[in-house]
Amino acid sequence: MFEFARWLGSSPLSIGIQSVSWLTPLLQAIHIVMIGIVFVSVLMIVLRIHGRVRADEPFIRTWERFAPWLWTALSVMAATGLVLIIGEPVREATALSFWLKMILIAVAVASVLGLRRAVAGVAGPVIPPATRHAAKLVLLIWILIIFLGRAIAYDVEVWRSLSLVHHA
Amino acid sequence: MSAPAIIQTIYDSGIAEWMRQSLKAMPFVEAAHVLAIATVFGTILIVDLRLLGKAGAHRPFGVVSREMLPMTWVAFGAAVITGALMFAPNAITYYGNTAFRLKMLALVLAGLNMAVFHLLTGRSLTWDTNARSPAPARVAAWLSIALWLTIIFLGRWIGFTKGYDFTVPEDVQFEFPQ
Repeated sequence: MFEFARWLGSSPLSIGIQSVSWLTPLLQAIHIVMIGIVFVSVLMIVLRIHGRVRADEPFIRTWERFAPWLWTALSVMAATGLVLIIGEPVREATALSFWLKMILIAVAVASVLGLRRAVAGVAGPVIPPATRHAAKLVLLIWILIIFLGRAIAYDVEVWRSLSLVHHA
Repeated sequence: MSAPAIIQTIYDSGIAEWMRQSLKAMPFVEAAHVLAIATVFGTILIVDLRLLGKAGAHRPFGVVSREMLPMTWVAFGAAVITGALMFAPNAITYYGNTAFRLKMLALVLAGLNMAVFHLLTGRSLTWDTNARSPAPARVAAWLSIALWLTIIFLGRWIGFTKGYDFTVPEDVQFEFPQ
């Protein structure tokens, strides 16, 4: 994996990305704007499950309002993230935070879809406590993803001897 | 007290020194800042899109605004606190950074835009249930979206232009591709 990252980092594509000074900050800024859309979309879905927002309409209306924004912004994040990875593959591959973040994104996407299914199966307007607790957990996973994203730049400081930098 | 003297006082403060000494504090503060600004932007975007009639237009503006703005303010408070914790340990560098100054200017303009909207257009909500709000409200919504995008972009630019004010820990081994 580290070999591949080193090879990718010295490829013309990666060097091309690295040589455009404004590209990385621009992509990171777009990435952060998209975090805003993804996180608040999940927040609205979770708060609706708790009846804290949009209690005047059925859950499915809230889902239909925010799910398209969630998936579109997530796709933009995947695209900007991919270019950022190609630009700095060694930094990403040697960061424990990066790999934990990738795993948690898969868990987070599956868990949002799981929430949708769980609520769809509820008969009547009251969402059971188990689903409400699960919704809180889903929100926590997304918060962790944001923290891990920022921690990539500080892998040794955050993880000390666990950082993969020591194994590269 | 002159501005540079105030900046120097902030730089010399105990909390600034603590942030400089702690290796772990900065990533957590920065991540919390990202979470806060993401919440500010996302919740304001919901209000702005409602004003423009582009999303959630079937709900009255007043209801959307009352649901979102308390969250926006809590998140904004968190962004100010975490932002101050990032500013203090590097205050002198930040103070002289153009991207930082422009970001503060954009924040003031975003605040003015919001104040003007609430004091003038938003005062009498005769258009509360209209899908599309009056022209001044739509102008305020577009301005808000543009200013918050600018704030996020400038925020990221600071990180790439301010330079650094710390030494790399000695036990870190850097390996660069040949």
